[in-house]
Amino acid sequence: VPDDPAPSLRPPDAIMAISPGPAPTDVFDVAVIGGGVNGTGVARDLSLRGLRVVVFERNDLAFGASGNSSGMIHGGVRYLSQSPHVTETSCRDSGYIQHIAPHLLFRMPFLMPIKTGLKGRIAIELIDAYFRAYDDYQPLKRGEPHCRLDASDMSRLEPGLTGSLLGGITFDEWGIDGARLCTLNALDAIEHGARVHTHTTVESVTRAPPAPDGDPVRYVVEGRDLLTQEVVRAAAHVVVNATGAWSPVTASLGGLPQARVRVRPGKGIHVVLDRRLTNYGILSEAIDGRQIFLEPWQNVSILGTTDDDYYGDLDDVRATSEEVRYLVQGVARVFPSVRTARAIGTYAGVRPTLYAYGKPEDALSREHEIVDHAADGSPGVYSMIGGKLASYRIFSQELSDLTSQKDFDLSTPCATHTRPLPGGERVPDALELAQKHGITPVAARRVVYRHGARALRILERTARHPSEKDVTCPCEPVLEAEVRHVVRHELARTVHDVARRTRLGYGACGGMRCAARCGQIVAEERGLPPHEAFALARDFVERQATTRVVAMGPEQARQEALTLAHLRASMGIER
Amino acid sequence: MSGVAAIVVVGAGVAGSGAAIAAAQAGARVTLVDGAAGASTLWTGAIDAGADPSDEVRAVAGRLGVVLGPSAIATTTGLVRRVGGHEAGILDLLPLLQDRTVGVVRCERPGWHASALVRTGGSGLVLLDATMLRLVDERLVPDADFAARHDDPDRLGWLSDRLRSALQRAGRPVHALLLPPSLGLDRARADELSRLVGIPCGEATGVPGGPPGLRFERARNRALASAGVAVVAGRATSVATAAGNPDRWTVRLEDRELDAEAVVLATGGLVGGGLEYQPSEAMLAAALPPTARPAFRCTIDAPVRLGAHGRPLEVPGTIFGVAPESIAWPLSRDALMDRVGVLCDEAGHAAPRLYAAGELVADTPRTWLRALESGVRAGLAAARETVKVTGAHPASHAQAPASRP
Repeated sequence: VPDDPAPSLRPPDAIMAISPGPAPTDVFDVAVIGGGVNGTGVARDLSLRGLRVVVFERNDLAFGASGNSSGMIHGGVRYLSQSPHVTETSCRDSGYIQHIAPHLLFRMPFLMPIKTGLKGRIAIELIDAYFRAYDDYQPLKRGEPHCRLDASDMSRLEPGLTGSLLGGITFDEWGIDGARLCTLNALDAIEHGARVHTHTTVESVTRAPPAPDGDPVRYVVEGRDLLTQEVVRAAAHVVVNATGAWSPVTASLGGLPQARVRVRPGKGIHVVLDRRLTNYGILSEAIDGRQIFLEPWQNVSILGTTDDDYYGDLDDVRATSEEVRYLVQGVARVFPSVRTARAIGTYAGVRPTLYAYGKPEDALSREHEIVDHAADGSPGVYSMIGGKLASYRIFSQELSDLTSQKDFDLSTPCATHTRPLPGGERVPDALELAQKHGITPVAARRVVYRHGARALRILERTARHPSEKDVTCPCEPVLEAEVRHVVRHELARTVHDVARRTRLGYGACGGMRCAARCGQIVAEERGLPPHEAFALARDFVERQATTRVVAMGPEQARQEALTLAHLRASMGIER
Repeated sequence: MSGVAAIVVVGAGVAGSGAAIAAAQAGARVTLVDGAAGASTLWTGAIDAGADPSDEVRAVAGRLGVVLGPSAIATTTGLVRRVGGHEAGILDLLPLLQDRTVGVVRCERPGWHASALVRTGGSGLVLLDATMLRLVDERLVPDADFAARHDDPDRLGWLSDRLRSALQRAGRPVHALLLPPSLGLDRARADELSRLVGIPCGEATGVPGGPPGLRFERARNRALASAGVAVVAGRATSVATAAGNPDRWTVRLEDRELDAEAVVLATGGLVGGGLEYQPSEAMLAAALPPTARPAFRCTIDAPVRLGAHGRPLEVPGTIFGVAPESIAWPLSRDALMDRVGVLCDEAGHAAPRLYAAGELVADTPRTWLRALESGVRAGLAAARETVKVTGAHPASHAQAPASRP
């Protein structure tokens, strides 16, 4: 917005120019900035209440913390002693999410090994009692009560556990694919009238010209599509800043004081291992006494997680080899074979933790908070600060309740906990689908996991276009029909977008066998020339290489060299 | 046990074979140590376009079953690609796409995207529906196994019947047929099928690990035999100056020793297995590493220096070991992993009478033609040296063309 020296949300007298260029043609009730789980959650909630919503996402849905979490909807067991109501709402919300997206959740029991010795003998009693209290909340999320196990039970359940164990405690949690959760929320919002712009960065939020006829439009959000460089403009009555760790940056675009939406960004990394090493999640202690874990997640295992203050580039968060060592070393103390397991990648995200000074990272509150910028002279502008994946729905409801009453005088109740997410109406039988459509049962199970009842639509495509039964990504596996589906119906615009929605290219081969083909399909669906296809593929593979390299042993180095060599060969690039 | 050879070439991939054949043709006595499959057998059959290759390189490429020159081939990623050459068994679409129609045979095989090819390959391509699969499992068997089924002349006849009837149904003239990887890139077989069908038939490139690699091995074996190169199977473990004679090398294998006046190392890079990435904390987060050292090594113990960017390799790391993010892909497009290798001069000279070729050489692009070029260059340079030293060969051979700068 070169002509506008100070786009801002400050009171009208502070604004010099008002929305330069042609007047916005698209008018909405609410503009949501941020396509993470909170942004898409709010967009869905408000759309279900009948409001017209537009979403701006600078990168892709679930690009930040939402898509890079530990992949759990947990019940908030650690808040039990200070604030049991948080645990209760967490568990209740976990139950709701199971209800609205049954296909997307998988049970993930954890083992907490306890070492022998006096400390252990005391610890096991305390932990046992603690989880007895947690058991009261488990029925809310269909969780099993905890168990106290002796050493022989532990080694029978997970023979890879070592050390002299006194025994252990189990507790029950649920795993989820955070990127799918965001996608489904966005999808449902779209199906209820919302518009979602991905890869579109907001460049300014300005106050709209006052309208004498009582036009409810108060703000103009202007964004730029980073893939096409097109300007996207939307007018709205309410603006929601749901940009997680980016929140202060977003606030400053509207001229709001950054200090009002201060977060303390905490970087968390995960290491991905090539297969399910265990049947249970396993807790362990890192060198500094923090709790870390190894969990079987979809078809891989995940080591997590770190929590460190982060001051770097939010658009390019990467794990480092020190962080990888920290996790491997910590988990290896109870599960040594993690050292020789094959790491196939890492991922990193930044938590938008509520700001506090003088506390270590782990002691920070995981609570969430709504900031009403009416106090800053910008009525109808809200920021969503803090929160976690498991509480996205209740957080979204809180904000939606507030704005629908205050700004729209609307009393439609929230429906996000009762109406299923797209595909969540029922979970089809994967084996039956495999037989009916002549695909492998594994491919059928995976597509049902990701899409629930909508898997039927994808597979029906293959009846009309049999060539779309081709397996594009053999590791996951992902069929060509699904790749086309997510480009057409789920806002995927790059190979990486397809990967987030389908896990294509996240397997052991690192995209060697699928990236080029996927790039081609995406380019074809978007009407781009063939060389763009390879640019999309190369961007993905190179970005993935940077995330894998830090966890790379000799074997992975060879695989990486092969992946890049193959891709270069198939694309005709020398290096 | 020990043998006498003027030149020992270690590595039987593109670079090693090129070096051995070129040196043998220049009059040297050559022994090639074949340590089994490396990156060359993962070749997809396409040659990247590059600088115009020399006559020697062209000659050796021809012996290895490769056609050089501008051509267009179909890939398994569903694309028609302009290339600088290809495995002889692949159908060159370039002359056909000028004014003819090429039928792309639809087939439910992994990695065969006939409709994508037709969409991206230009107006000369049309889809053709023909049954190529006879058994249910043929939707999934590997390319090489599928190709092996066409060893049976009856099966090839059956296929040609299907293709002919598809051509009749096509409703427009079709001048050539493009098939999925199905014939093992066997030119003779493709010619036989073309004869049966009545128009030229040929294949697309393969996937890594498929028929092009196997075809390369077969063509290489024939070329080595006809050039008179002795082939020894086994893994070389070290190259060292011979005891009592600093002008000769001893190449140690697991079960024998070879004596050489000159040695060409062509053992491959990271993919081929000639170079190893071996961080001192290979087991991720074990105890402190015993010593800090460069994270790469040659799999053969030889008096060469590893380097990248023209400089010897340093110890990149901390007391906890290597920090891969600072040395590996892809901080920049030319990060260390891509460039590390043996330091040598233009002719591949790494030490007196010791040459390196192919992906083992530092700072070289990893392509088929570059590997062959560096192999031929090293082979010729080694031959010049040994022929001069032994004086055992006619002068005409010793005057083999000098390598290009």
